[in-house]
Amino acid sequence: MKDIKYFFLATAVLALSAFTWKTVTKWKIDENYSIRFVGTDAEGIFKKLSGEVVFEESNLESSSFSFVVDVNSINTGNGMKNKHAISDKWFDAEEYPNISFKSTNFTKSKVGYSVNGELTMHGISKKMTVPFTFEKDVVAAKFSVKRLDFKVGTMEGNSKKVSDEIKLDVSIPLIK
Amino acid sequence: MKNILFRGLLSGILSAISGIVYLKIYEGGTMVDFESVLSPIAVASTSIFACMLMTLGYMFLFKMRKMKWKGAMNLLILLFSFLSIFGPIAFTLPLEFDYPELFPGLAIPMHFFPALFFFALHPFFEKGRN
Repeated sequence: MKDIKYFFLATAVLALSAFTWKTVTKWKIDENYSIRFVGTDAEGIFKKLSGEVVFEESNLESSSFSFVVDVNSINTGNGMKNKHAISDKWFDAEEYPNISFKSTNFTKSKVGYSVNGELTMHGISKKMTVPFTFEKDVVAAKFSVKRLDFKVGTMEGNSKKVSDEIKLDVSIPLIK
Repeated sequence: MKNILFRGLLSGILSAISGIVYLKIYEGGTMVDFESVLSPIAVASTSIFACMLMTLGYMFLFKMRKMKWKGAMNLLILLFSFLSIFGPIAFTLPLEFDYPELFPGLAIPMHFFPALFFFALHPFFEKGRN
């Protein structure tokens, strides 16, 4: 009799625990993404992005972002500027071919979400918080990066024409 | 005056044809479609416009009875042609265009076509030639 009680108890706990499970969705990045950057005398896009997105609005604890941008895919609309951008004077794409972002945790904000994580560019990693929205399966973020924090270019000679602060406008449509 | 105008028009047309032929050869060689950034119509109209500017310069000399300054005018045309190549070098193409590094190789030679034809046709329109 006692065994039956324990059996029912175990079944009840198992059944109840099922209601506490929260699923997370693993998304694929749709090819219509865009990564635009704008600074003084510097404007363009990165054409190649890859990564893993695990995101569920109701389960931020289990969500994660991991993005990799191919530095060689930069396009400023000018061939000479492109070559200059990937040279060792700026991104040094030969030594540091990728820009990456890996999330650590998410928080909900008034207008959307914020993701805390580590941005690695030009071989330098910095912790940063990126606010973003998630609507109609699209992750959209507008934020700024200070290029000198990552030792991308200098403020000497003609390089000083390019502002330290570079604004980024990122839109990443996702598919299940 | 009529001679100068005909010379300008003919050099404009020949320059336009050469520009379009070069555009097609360049597109074939690089396997890149430049239509979105440089159409044959744009090549033709720019060539004719450039030749008409030279024509106006020559007409000005003719009107002022300063045709002996033709050499200086030719040097000025050459200088403007040379300076104009900085345009395609510095030009920012639409970001959707994937091969901006190929654009100067297409556009820079074209900047010399109008002056080349304008100068080449000069002997045919010179009065009193043997």
